[in-house]
Amino acid sequence: MIKEKKTIMRKIILFLLIAGLILNLVGCTQEAVVAGENEDLLETNWESILEEAEGTEVNFYGWGGSQMTNDWLDNFLALRLKEEYNITLNRVPMDIDQVLNKLLGENQMNVTGTADVIWINGENFSTARTNDLLYGPFTHKLPNFNQYIDVESVEVKYDFGFPVEGYEAPYGKAQFVLVYDEARVEQVPKGHEELMELVKNNAGKFTYPAPPDFTGSAFIRNIIYDIVGYEQFITMKADKEVIAKAIQPAMDYLNELKPYLWRNGETYPSTIAQLHNMYADHEVFMTMNYNSNEAAARIQTGEFPRTTNTFVFENGTIGNTHFLAIPDNAPNKAGALAVIDFILSVEAQASKYNPDNWGDLPVLDNARLSDSERAIFDEIQIGKGALPQHILLDHRVPEMPANFVPIIEEIWMENIL
Amino acid sequence: MKKTIKPYIMLLPAMTILLGIFVAGLSMAFLQSLGYFPTIGLQEFTLNYYKEVLTDHGFLTSLRFSLWIAFVSSSVSVVLGVLLAYSIVKSKHKKGLEEIVYKLPVIVPHVVATLLVYNILGQSGIIARMAYALGFISQQSEFPALLFDKNGFGIILAYVWKGTPFIAMVVYTVLSNMNNRLSEVALNLGATNKQVFWHVLIPLTMPSIFSSFIIIFAFSFGAYEVPFLIGPTAPRALPVQAYAEYMNADLRHRPYTMTINMVLTFISFLCIWIYHKTFKLLNKYNG
Repeated sequence: MIKEKKTIMRKIILFLLIAGLILNLVGCTQEAVVAGENEDLLETNWESILEEAEGTEVNFYGWGGSQMTNDWLDNFLALRLKEEYNITLNRVPMDIDQVLNKLLGENQMNVTGTADVIWINGENFSTARTNDLLYGPFTHKLPNFNQYIDVESVEVKYDFGFPVEGYEAPYGKAQFVLVYDEARVEQVPKGHEELMELVKNNAGKFTYPAPPDFTGSAFIRNIIYDIVGYEQFITMKADKEVIAKAIQPAMDYLNELKPYLWRNGETYPSTIAQLHNMYADHEVFMTMNYNSNEAAARIQTGEFPRTTNTFVFENGTIGNTHFLAIPDNAPNKAGALAVIDFILSVEAQASKYNPDNWGDLPVLDNARLSDSERAIFDEIQIGKGALPQHILLDHRVPEMPANFVPIIEEIWMENIL
Repeated sequence: MKKTIKPYIMLLPAMTILLGIFVAGLSMAFLQSLGYFPTIGLQEFTLNYYKEVLTDHGFLTSLRFSLWIAFVSSSVSVVLGVLLAYSIVKSKHKKGLEEIVYKLPVIVPHVVATLLVYNILGQSGIIARMAYALGFISQQSEFPALLFDKNGFGIILAYVWKGTPFIAMVVYTVLSNMNNRLSEVALNLGATNKQVFWHVLIPLTMPSIFSSFIIIFAFSFGAYEVPFLIGPTAPRALPVQAYAEYMNADLRHRPYTMTINMVLTFISFLCIWIYHKTFKLLNKYNG
């Protein structure tokens, strides 16, 4: 008798589970609206796009690993969008790899997605483009893009070597800087030759993290640029022999430098965190960073000595740009366009640049700003140990194509270790 | 019939997860090490990756380095661990505190142990600072470079700090549960303490010493974090080498990673087999 009851129970549970699954599927099919109404959005004028965007919700998908970044989106951007366009911004923290997987899945089922704006760059952009996951080209529609962005700049045209073609709009910039202690470095090196001299005169006081550490790898690319220039790499084939030949002078340089490095170059710090630690402990007198404002923050927390400062080479240091894109299946493309346009405004870029809010470098072209607009940026206190953006922007060279990076790391390992 | 199958069916849910993940991962790795990785267009089975990896100079130095670290750190741990266990057993007074204190490093994660070693023995570590304050050295680089060195001294030290209490714990349990009569008979017949230790206690605890040696050997051979954090850039320990290959953005490097992983797996299986054998030996002793 009891046994019978049990089997009945089981059948009921099974039935419920199946029913749940079926209902779920029905739910899915109901959501599958063809995104046809937005098709001619790019044909209409900006006013009607704003009209359509008014009062809607926009879902912003992107990396959420930094409290400062999240705070800027929640406290500044969301508030201002509400005031300006009555747009409600929902920030959804999700790594870009996951976002792409989500888009790929949705794309296969041909359904409308949930993401309106995505924060993207580099390899992920090329993956998204080659799989037709993005909406566009849309940047020519944005008034602020047309007014403030230098469309001819390599950094706007290419994202880690992949042509942008209007499918993503610049969001912010990062730049490689060298960090030094004024109390122990008398003369800042202007380039690789002076760096060599400085290191030779102060044996054991300088080193860089071994690749595949991200920052150490960027340092090596920067030395390559400083010695053989960056122009040739934009059109170079991703072939190991070709690259090896082109960067040979830089490898010779690093080999010459090696005996004067920390621990005679027999070993290197394995992470940038270790190098920062060694710098804070006075074991070395320089460190480096791909975030030009981080040293200033570390002075604030007392981690780095107060005499810390940053510098760039005269021929420039590597910078990269992060971008915003709109998925092809975004439910609210008009809203997405309005949001991205607002992010490109002087007000938003200046607020983002303020180290108290985020400290992310602006993407606007200085030459296109009016005097009063430029003054807004100049007035921002960037803190001790950080370089003002006009110095950074004047000494900035674009990243290499993403697929060069592992090849160069390999060549370094074979030549230097 | 039903009875014989039943335990297997009961085990099925757990085993699907355990074996499913383990075997699936391992077979994928094996296939990829043979050059079969259709996602990126590698379709042909080949032994070339094995040939290349096994004759590669960098790989061989890494293998030697990993074996050296594992062997030295495990051997030192065994010697120190046995002595520690023996002295705790021998000490006359109340053992409450000692029994807890010596076990502490066992529960400390390896990453934390590495941090301790770094803070104490680094060139800007506590000892170096004391030496500086006392005037033995005038700058950091004069302090002997114990970490990031080519002989893996720092790594070995971290493993010894973790391994010694583990060995002591195993041996102490065996020693304190051992029948005292054998030692007493030997002492009665005129053996010295030393002779009792070498000829009675050591042979009796040998199987457990050996099996715990195998455990820490296999661990320090295959673990990644300690050599990554305080190891030299070259030679790299094998697990660090495998990780670096895995992180390579060029997916065509994946077969090399998997080949290294298969070598690591093979040596670990060898350890399991030896461990199994010693357990049989242990049973023989007890039986």
